[in-house]
Amino acid sequence: MIATAWICLLSPLAAAALITLGGTRITRRLAGYLATTSVLVSFAAALITFFRLLDDPAEERSHVSTLWTWLSAGDFEVGLSILVDPLSVFMMLVVSGVGFLIVAYSIGYMDGSDEERRYFAYMALFVFSMLLLVQSGDLVILLAGWGLVGLCSYLLIGYEQERPVAIAAAKKAFIMNAFGDATMALALFLLIQRLGTVEYGAVFSRIERAGGDTVLTLIALGLLGGAVAKSAQIPLHTWLPDAMEGPTPVSALIHAATMVVAGAFMLVRLNPVFEAAPDILDLAAGLGAITLLFAGLVALVQTDIKRVIAYSTMSQIGYMFLGAGLTAYGNSMFHLMTHAFFKALLFLAAGIVIHALVAEQDMRKMGGLGRVLPKTYSAMLIGALALAAIPPFAGFFSKDPLLAAALDAGAYGQLLWVVGMTGTFLTALYIFRMIFIVFGGEPSPFVREHLHRPGHTMPALWMAWTVGALAVLSVVGGWIQFSPFWHPLSDFLEPVAAPGVEPTGAEDAITTVLSVGLAVVGILIAWWIYSARRAEVPRWAFGQQLLEHKFYFDEVYDAVFYRPAALAANAAIRLVEGPLISGSIRELTEGTRLVASRLSEAQTGLLRTYALALGSGAALLTLVFLAVKL
Amino acid sequence: MKGPDVSWYLILSAVLFVVGASGVLLRRNPLIVLLSLEIMLNSANLALIGFARHLGDTSGQVFALAVMAVAASEVVVGLGLVVAINRNRFPMDVDRLNTLRG
Repeated sequence: MIATAWICLLSPLAAAALITLGGTRITRRLAGYLATTSVLVSFAAALITFFRLLDDPAEERSHVSTLWTWLSAGDFEVGLSILVDPLSVFMMLVVSGVGFLIVAYSIGYMDGSDEERRYFAYMALFVFSMLLLVQSGDLVILLAGWGLVGLCSYLLIGYEQERPVAIAAAKKAFIMNAFGDATMALALFLLIQRLGTVEYGAVFSRIERAGGDTVLTLIALGLLGGAVAKSAQIPLHTWLPDAMEGPTPVSALIHAATMVVAGAFMLVRLNPVFEAAPDILDLAAGLGAITLLFAGLVALVQTDIKRVIAYSTMSQIGYMFLGAGLTAYGNSMFHLMTHAFFKALLFLAAGIVIHALVAEQDMRKMGGLGRVLPKTYSAMLIGALALAAIPPFAGFFSKDPLLAAALDAGAYGQLLWVVGMTGTFLTALYIFRMIFIVFGGEPSPFVREHLHRPGHTMPALWMAWTVGALAVLSVVGGWIQFSPFWHPLSDFLEPVAAPGVEPTGAEDAITTVLSVGLAVVGILIAWWIYSARRAEVPRWAFGQQLLEHKFYFDEVYDAVFYRPAALAANAAIRLVEGPLISGSIRELTEGTRLVASRLSEAQTGLLRTYALALGSGAALLTLVFLAVKL
Repeated sequence: MKGPDVSWYLILSAVLFVVGASGVLLRRNPLIVLLSLEIMLNSANLALIGFARHLGDTSGQVFALAVMAVAASEVVVGLGLVVAINRNRFPMDVDRLNTLRG
């Protein structure tokens, strides 16, 4: 079992290394197949690990394997270790399974682009980093995976190096994530200083001894900072929409499998640490709620098809944070899984649309694509219905119990429940706005002019079957758990993260009826405005401007962080660098040059002066010696 | 011990040294400068050998032999330079060969 877990982890790394070292000896197509196969091997290994783990009794499903001591300083040791337990196996399955479909899709999507090899090497490395993150056996390895994921996202968002916008987006993502990494590292330092260990088991059992409430709160706050940055929650969310500059499968990978869900995973993985600081847990739930509302509102006015989906990711991760913050861990992880299915589906289907329209992403130019791309339309529709949590699609089974758990969590939970319900309505509204604008009605002039129908070529088939597989998963993926009646996933995860809330049947029923009702209302309003066009799009200048500027987060960050820094830097150049540093160096060189030019006058080039100097010098020395002797 | 006293040798040596030094300082032809240099070296040799004889110690003679070896190599380099100067049609005048002026 441990061996298969290691194979699962190392297989994508091996592929990345092979593609990088092979260089041009590996054909572009082969690089794609290599990366895909390696992730498939990971998935197979994860499956085997999963079934072996099932053979163990429920209480003994936790195995640590240490390869070697990775870092040793005095008494403090960190091993390169992985942990195999229900949570990590669950994440391994999601990451490698969805990751495999996305990498396979890339074979079609990236066909014919330059530098395919680099792309696939990064993709494999990305999957490896995420697997390292979810399989980590201690907090330092978790942080290493955390940083590697950030690095890979930077490399892939900026994959199209010739576009300055992509480079700027990549830098933004990296800086935002580095901020989170830093707070997380600070929390780790505090933890190491207090407990002297970073192993999960030891940390969880001794966390109460780390110190008073302040220390525990600080540790949890630092860790939460990392989660918030990685999962693009308010206030560190601004990188996620910009990350749409990367190729579409990269967006799918970041959103569905390998990156943004890491924050929600960490909340669940480190739940004893967070439960020791309940304030921070509430803060996480609150941030999730604010984010889901914010993202839902902003998604209403986006015009770029990928950005709508990007904001929907933010809002769905908000639900996961809400769930994990209210200790509904199983539901939160279940939503993570179904979200991976339908979000990957939405992105990859959007990729087919973008491909068919020769890289156009502006929804205002699209329209009537349902007529010309019927299969893509149905795939997108399945994804949208799953996102809007309409039964029997996957999102319904995961989102409703999550909200029901909120209803059970006291007054604060009920407040968040209201927010979550509003979010459900907004979700249905914005995603069906996109569906009706892009696919509804007659084909627009732009579509008629530019449509490039995918044929039955090899690349198109790779794209088609992966999207088909995800569409099936988005329908049936939710059926494995229907909270009131059967919940195998929550039971499976219970030894790792026991939920603190247990919604009653009545709460479940109220939530389900209300949330489905609100989603249907949202869809109907979207239909009324954008398909039937019976009503104008509401115009409210202030609100629209506020939403189009994404609540001015970018502008505020620009004014608060960038401008003062730029001002200070400019002042430092003018006042310190120029006169002090450059000036002193200039004075020094000028002085040296002056002295040298004076001294060099002694060098006449005349042999006789040298000889005279030599002779008189010798004579002088002789006289001196004689004078001393006498 | 036969022959003149050591002071005679030293006086001759001093005279030769002054002749050589004046030649180095006053003549312009590099060839003559080299010749004068040899005279200076040999005046030193004469003084060494004079003392060796006076003191009955052979180490002065050994020292003179070492000076001859050094002088021989110096002449090889010096004459080589003179030939090179001549071949490149540079002026045979140490006062005009002053390109190394700072």
